[in-house]
Amino acid sequence: MVNVLKGVLVECDPAMKQFLLYLDETTALGKKFIIQDLDDTHVFILAEVVHILQERVGELMDQNSFPITQK
Amino acid sequence: MKLRVQLQCKNLHEYLKELSPEILDRLYNHPATCLAVYRELPPLAKNYVMRMLFLDQPLPQAAVALWVKKDSEKDHDQCVSVLSGLRLWHSQQLQGGLQGNILNPVFKDNLRIALLGGGKSWADQGDSLGPDRHARDVESLDKYALERWEVVLHFMVGCPSAAVSQDLSQLLIQAGLMRTEAGDAPCITSAGFQFLLLDTASQLWYFTLQYLNTAQTRGMDLVEILSFLFQLSFSTLGRDYSVEGMSESLLTFLQHLREFGLVFQRKRKSRRYYPTRLAITLSAGVSANSSSTAMGATPGTGDSGFIVVETNYRLYAYTNSELQIALVALFSECLYRFPNVVVAQVTRESVQQAIANGITAQQYIGVLVLLYMAELFGEILHFLRTRAHPVMLKQNPVLPPTITDQIRLWELERDRLQFSEGVLYNQFLSQADFEVLRDRAQGLGCLVWQNVAHRVIVVSPQGHGEVKRFWKRQKSHT
Repeated sequence: MVNVLKGVLVECDPAMKQFLLYLDETTALGKKFIIQDLDDTHVFILAEVVHILQERVGELMDQNSFPITQK
Repeated sequence: MKLRVQLQCKNLHEYLKELSPEILDRLYNHPATCLAVYRELPPLAKNYVMRMLFLDQPLPQAAVALWVKKDSEKDHDQCVSVLSGLRLWHSQQLQGGLQGNILNPVFKDNLRIALLGGGKSWADQGDSLGPDRHARDVESLDKYALERWEVVLHFMVGCPSAAVSQDLSQLLIQAGLMRTEAGDAPCITSAGFQFLLLDTASQLWYFTLQYLNTAQTRGMDLVEILSFLFQLSFSTLGRDYSVEGMSESLLTFLQHLREFGLVFQRKRKSRRYYPTRLAITLSAGVSANSSSTAMGATPGTGDSGFIVVETNYRLYAYTNSELQIALVALFSECLYRFPNVVVAQVTRESVQQAIANGITAQQYIGVLVLLYMAELFGEILHFLRTRAHPVMLKQNPVLPPTITDQIRLWELERDRLQFSEGVLYNQFLSQADFEVLRDRAQGLGCLVWQNVAHRVIVVSPQGHGEVKRFWKRQKSHT
């Protein structure tokens, strides 16, 4: 029998995918959200975590950036 | 799940193709329209039309195909599709049983009139009213047009000093450029932002198209309005025309045009009006703009080029105009303001804020026509390039590569994850099962992703129902 699951397919680069796996392991979003790890650049996740995920990614990017010039 | 709205700016031809055949035929009753449409045709199509203009018999399609050399087949086909799309010619059965082409008779007659003269005069010259005591010259007309258009743009940006009529703000809301919430003053939408960063000719054209779309809901006759618009585009700058013989809806249209700055009329009840440069370049402006990459001065903006961008992300805008300053402030942080300069800095936060509001760094802006679409311009970058100071224009490339690359990178940061809803199918019992289902999904066009090695597919939610039914049928057969 074929297994059918509903969710959201995420496509990203390998580095970002490792970040998603990290968030999943530490249940940083409150629960495990990765349904299936598909390949190097694709993951299948729960639909409801999409917004929080975008926020978390945004925070990560903010942490890694620095103001280029002094005012 | 990209939620950004793209501003679509159609060409005249695209717009006409969407109209129903009866409206098109009525439209072609006016020589001005025919001439305007003819003007926008590709050169080969113009050639064809000219050759068939004075023929009263249909011409066999084989003969028409002979007019081009063998290696220009593609151009010929494109031509044929353009002409049929605009209903400029029909297919007709000839006596010998061959298929022939003949020009649309209405179009033919009116184009002849347009080219050779005759027929009704398009618009009465103002001479019948005697010389105008308050005559306006070209310069003051230009100034007037600019002023009016800037007021509209100011209103969109939200300057309190700009006030426009109820009608106009309704139109902006209907066009999706602004939105209003329960009795508050209207505020701008993301499409509105994109609109603001376009150059004047595209803005005008987009606006006119929106107006035409809503014209019918207002009870105005689309054909009349369009014919009048084309007529305007053939008028002479600086000459006055009389309003004799114009119907009610045309008069209302004239008042609206007056508000956008396309036409000047001294008072509401004046019997003469002057078309301004904006009106005349309106239908010509689209093709001129789309074939050249809009660099340097854009017609209609008061200051030709006034922005200098440095590699340390600083921006100097040499302008006094509130509107231009507001536009610059959309995507940069203003640091200092002097009587003739505004110093701003382009930062990650400001660009991302602008993007969150709906502008993008890299996206198809104003797809004028698929035929002419050749370059991708980010809107912010397009804005900076088209308003670049003459000093900047001497450099090549105009904007420093560091800035352009960094702005695009800041925008791409938000796109590191791409989401698409779907349904995952895995754990197929056999390769054959997998392939059957996969092919079915592909045939329906709803296959989002597949992995053959692990026998996994992802199907879009819309296709899921159909695929599930198909699968059940399969199971019951085997």
